[in-house]
Amino acid sequence: MRILRVIAVAAVLFLTAVHLGAPVRAAGPVSEVLVGELLPLTGNFASLGQQYLWAGQTVEDIVNNDYPDLKVPLGPGKGIPGLGGAKMTLVVRDDQSRGDQARTLAEQLITVNKVHWLNGEGTSGNTSIIQPLVESYGIPMACHACASPTLTEKGFKWFWRTGPNDNTMVASVFQFLKEWPAHGGPKDLKTIALFTCDNLFCQDNRKIAADLAEKGGLKIVADLTTKTGATTLASEAQRLQAAKPDILFSVQYPAETTVFQADLKRAGFMPKVIATSNGAYSDQTWLNAQKATAGAAGWLGRDPTAIDLASKKPAWKKVNEIYKKYSRGQDMGELAMREITGLLWMADTFNRAKSVEPAALAKAANETNMAPDVMIIDYKGIKFDNAHQNVLATGVVTQIGWDDEKHTIWPWDLAAQAGFKPIFPSPSWQERESRSKK
Amino acid sequence: MTLFLQAVADGLQMGLLYALVAVGLAIIWGLMEMINFAHGEFMMLGMFGAWGLSVSLGWDPLISMVPLAVIMYGAGVLVYRLLMRRVQRGEIFTQIFATVGLLFFVQNGVVALFTSDYRFIEGSLLTRLSGANLTLGDIRIGVPLLVGGLIALAVFLALYLLIDRTDFGLALQATSEDRDAAMLVGIRPERMYAVAWGLGTALVAVAGVILANFFAVYPQAGLSFTVLAYAIVALGGFGSILGTLMAALLVGVVQSVTAAYLAPAFKDAFVFASYILIGLFRPQGLFGRF
Repeated sequence: MRILRVIAVAAVLFLTAVHLGAPVRAAGPVSEVLVGELLPLTGNFASLGQQYLWAGQTVEDIVNNDYPDLKVPLGPGKGIPGLGGAKMTLVVRDDQSRGDQARTLAEQLITVNKVHWLNGEGTSGNTSIIQPLVESYGIPMACHACASPTLTEKGFKWFWRTGPNDNTMVASVFQFLKEWPAHGGPKDLKTIALFTCDNLFCQDNRKIAADLAEKGGLKIVADLTTKTGATTLASEAQRLQAAKPDILFSVQYPAETTVFQADLKRAGFMPKVIATSNGAYSDQTWLNAQKATAGAAGWLGRDPTAIDLASKKPAWKKVNEIYKKYSRGQDMGELAMREITGLLWMADTFNRAKSVEPAALAKAANETNMAPDVMIIDYKGIKFDNAHQNVLATGVVTQIGWDDEKHTIWPWDLAAQAGFKPIFPSPSWQERESRSKK
Repeated sequence: MTLFLQAVADGLQMGLLYALVAVGLAIIWGLMEMINFAHGEFMMLGMFGAWGLSVSLGWDPLISMVPLAVIMYGAGVLVYRLLMRRVQRGEIFTQIFATVGLLFFVQNGVVALFTSDYRFIEGSLLTRLSGANLTLGDIRIGVPLLVGGLIALAVFLALYLLIDRTDFGLALQATSEDRDAAMLVGIRPERMYAVAWGLGTALVAVAGVILANFFAVYPQAGLSFTVLAYAIVALGGFGSILGTLMAALLVGVVQSVTAAYLAPAFKDAFVFASYILIGLFRPQGLFGRF
């Protein structure tokens, strides 16, 4: 018993020593800035993780090489000038989409690799698991594409998010639905069904949507939560069909969305409007696959950027060229755009801080006031509130047209620029079939 | 009532596909009593094979099923000879870790080769039939799932006859029950195990080829099915091909009916609750021999 006590005390002392010792770094010039990239590169969320990785490699390339005509932070010139031209180096770790593994690797990145900033984990659920750990070490951390509002509502001192959260983005969809009748849209949308998966991201979307639906006068006629990784959704499709919603608000990942589409088609059910939020709607491979069958025509969803307008910017085109070097030729989707914007902001923060010390980085981060003209995404800028949420990150609503591309339909000024007439009602399965390319 | 009957019909159709996924495991785990956590990865390889042959050669999965089954049979034999034969006589944990290692090796190898993108088979016979239904009163039966289910039934019938009605099947069962006694009557156990691995791997790859018509093809696609396959084999009873089929149908119906009336997020919980319930009265499973 006595031995056990001695071992326990020794373990506590050892862990305390490691813990206290970790953030202390030698002062002086640095030749490279270490950014921990903790990502889900394998496992359930690997398709997201690989996009984040390609985005990270793109930013590493932009920062460390000279792109004289590229109008993004640290595009021209090599390295980070505020740190004497120090290179930016990503220290990439794969957590296999597992929260426990993410926690272990986050600790390793901080104590063993001594990264200056931790970027990750890319999914809201696993990010919320590692947040307290990183906070205890006092290291700056960011997750730009994580959209759960709770991540910046816990009062963490060391966490920043440049991207919009779901409060902003889901609100965009409901604001659009509210204003649509005044802009020539349907006036008879009265009921809604919520169809979401069961993780933190989906459930945050569900709660926000339920709240906004009630406030917007929409009656919720069905509210179904499904397990991530579902192999069949036939009964769920039956229940939704029986509930007869005017609007279906669906938040599901690509694999489950594919199963659901087949089950909806088998049931012969198509609501007047299918609205969505991230998940499959943000996945470039799912979007590409819809082209053959017109499967997504008429789907509308929230996006952090008007991708049809942003892609016309010269900087977007150049960054996309660099991105394609790493993505095996795949174009940037909005997820990659959010990540690249965030990582370039981090590089800019290192540059302005002229230091890799956490306190100096936090000060520079909090003082951020980035103008929209140096971004590839059309946020109104980057400026943080007290919770470290970028208050200038915006949400837009896009709809997939018969050309299989996303078109901005809200806010109305951007919609006017895009010049796209929203599809309504959502096309029947027969119409999709007749217009499909195969 | 229509909702209930539709749910049962949907569940039976999915159950047939689950059965095809599980039957390979029923041979390797249920009959030969060897653990294989990489079972779902072989299914995923079948899916990728079907997608690859569809994209590169324009082959319909219903055609590519045959060469892929042969290739995956070879892969299964190879896995047994190079890996499982060596760990077979060791602790059960050695088998577990060996196949978990194989799971990660295969899955991550596919990630490295193909990335984690979702891929979809387009223009195959079954995808073109998507949306085509047979109707029985108010009940709709999807033609593509029905075709998939009929293939599954045909495979089951063939396998049942092979295992229960041929000398080869009896030799397999004999090896499983008493390896040393089997050797005394001239059966070569290692050959039997290799064939079992080949058959199991080929069958789950065929399941993957069919499922590729309905599901996204991606490196992690096998996981959800593997968990169900284990429950199905245990529920059906070790060593029983017929039991696997019945258990798979039961799992499909339980999932479907649960999702029709209760919170869908719990439908797999009800599958495992059914397993516990049946286990209380028949620990050997529905049709188990041991």
